[in-house]
Amino acid sequence: MTAEYIVEMKGICKRFGGIQALKNVDLELRRGEIMGIVGDNGAGKSTLMKILSGAYLADEGEIYVEGRRVHIRNPEDASRLGIVMIYQDLALFNNLDVAKNIFIGREFSKGPLGLLLDKKRMYRRAEELIQELRVDIRSPKFGVSQMSGGQRQMVACARAIAFQSKILIMDEPTAALGVTEAGKLLSLIRSLRDRGLSILLITQRIPDVLAIADRVFVLKGGQRQDVLEVSKVTLDDVVTMIVKGKDRAGEKAPVVEYQSFG
Amino acid sequence: MSKIDLSGLQKYTIMFVLLALMVLFSFTSPYFLTVRNITNIITQNTYFIIVAVGLSFVMIGGGIDLSVGYQMSLVGVVTAMMMVVYHQPVWLAVGVGLLLGTTLGLINGIIVTSIRIFPLIATLATSVIFQGISYLISQAQTYRLYPQEFLFLVKGSVLGMPFDVFLTLLIVILASFIYSETVFGLRVMALGGNEEAARLAGINTRRLKISLYTICGFLVAVATMIMIAKADTTNSSFGPGTEFIALTAAIVGGVSFMGGEGSVPALVAGVFVLAVLGNGMQLAGWGTYAQYIVRGVILLAAVAFDEYQKNLRLIKRKS
Repeated sequence: MTAEYIVEMKGICKRFGGIQALKNVDLELRRGEIMGIVGDNGAGKSTLMKILSGAYLADEGEIYVEGRRVHIRNPEDASRLGIVMIYQDLALFNNLDVAKNIFIGREFSKGPLGLLLDKKRMYRRAEELIQELRVDIRSPKFGVSQMSGGQRQMVACARAIAFQSKILIMDEPTAALGVTEAGKLLSLIRSLRDRGLSILLITQRIPDVLAIADRVFVLKGGQRQDVLEVSKVTLDDVVTMIVKGKDRAGEKAPVVEYQSFG
Repeated sequence: MSKIDLSGLQKYTIMFVLLALMVLFSFTSPYFLTVRNITNIITQNTYFIIVAVGLSFVMIGGGIDLSVGYQMSLVGVVTAMMMVVYHQPVWLAVGVGLLLGTTLGLINGIIVTSIRIFPLIATLATSVIFQGISYLISQAQTYRLYPQEFLFLVKGSVLGMPFDVFLTLLIVILASFIYSETVFGLRVMALGGNEEAARLAGINTRRLKISLYTICGFLVAVATMIMIAKADTTNSSFGPGTEFIALTAAIVGGVSFMGGEGSVPALVAGVFVLAVLGNGMQLAGWGTYAQYIVRGVILLAAVAFDEYQKNLRLIKRKS
């Protein structure tokens, strides 16, 4: 396994009952890159990423992280390897404040056997993260239930970087955001890449991928089609690959009046 | 003109309701606000408070336990028989009772997490099972004449207060501390708030849920000791019905039926709201049957209010 890649997934297969969701999929993520994961509905994007984040178990295939073969059986295993996924529904806790959302599951603790919450440290670190990320959140004590979609995405990002995660997977992060908030979030994603994170970005909004990603990984019907260098392709190339797949991508591209794919 | 933010006062609603009821009943009966009556209200409700605290762990974690009434029935007859029929030492009888309650809670937790059916149905089923076992063991007999050491629970005093009041206070303080200051308490809130997110955050949700039902079982057993000591007698019909009062008090006290929300002081206030209502109605000559109707209406209103608040927050977030 080469050191160029921080993650390599090889021959990943996944079935749900009679449906073959993923068929022999290989994926390689470079260090410090943003890779867009695109495909039509049901192409297998989320399934593939959920396998990497430990939410699903692959039926077949191997995963390597930093060149080492790993077995990811649950989100805890993934978290230990520095892999964090931000889900489309954000997986936040509306009944908790910002700091608690950031640190839940990996709380700062103190006292005998680490049973007590180290609230002081938790709120201080959350405040630092908010400032580091320059996000628009008033206080770490602010309730998540009262936040906008963009602010909630930012809390999810803060959660991801709070523990020096190396690989960040984002599922449709801009899907529910307005133009301004989406723009802010894309800037934040870029700044996370600049901090050294390797990012996998599942999205149906191809312009987002072209704006910030280095490469695009295209899935169709649970199979890998191609990996495209963003600097060498156009919007039409990507859409054609998504619609027709690798074998028919040479055919004349469809006329696409593009706003948002899907 | 600047608006006055009253949202912080919302969590004290139940305290205001309690205060308002006390003022109201002090006008309807001259006996209501006497030291003797208030002391009675407190001492008669210690075991309800302990059960409600136990239930709050399960409910805040997003579950429900309808079997607590028959857990009390079973634990009560077993503890009583150990002392009265088999003449075992009090410490052993109490120890077995507490262990039995804890085990019943553990069984509930394992069933709820293994079969993955609604906890409401699962614990309704175990409730009937516990009822059957309780009657099988007791043969519907009544046990009385407990040893004096056992009655220390209600007749003894610590720091100038009845022992059961002291014990209840200790449990209330400990539970409040667990919710607000420990990793466990935060995880219980998270579990009730969003179970799937808790799992994805790396929390072992199954183990956590089982531990909540087990804690509930233990506290229910503690409450049972106080209940049977207070009555100085027991049979299999002692306990059932407590689940309804504890559940109503929990919801009235702001423990969300959906999980993820609640505080112990408000929960205690919830128990006292029901107790003051019952006491006040009794003194006003309303009788027991009217109290059933009022309690039912209160439960309905509290659940409706909980649901309304949830929807309101959802609308606010979307707007």
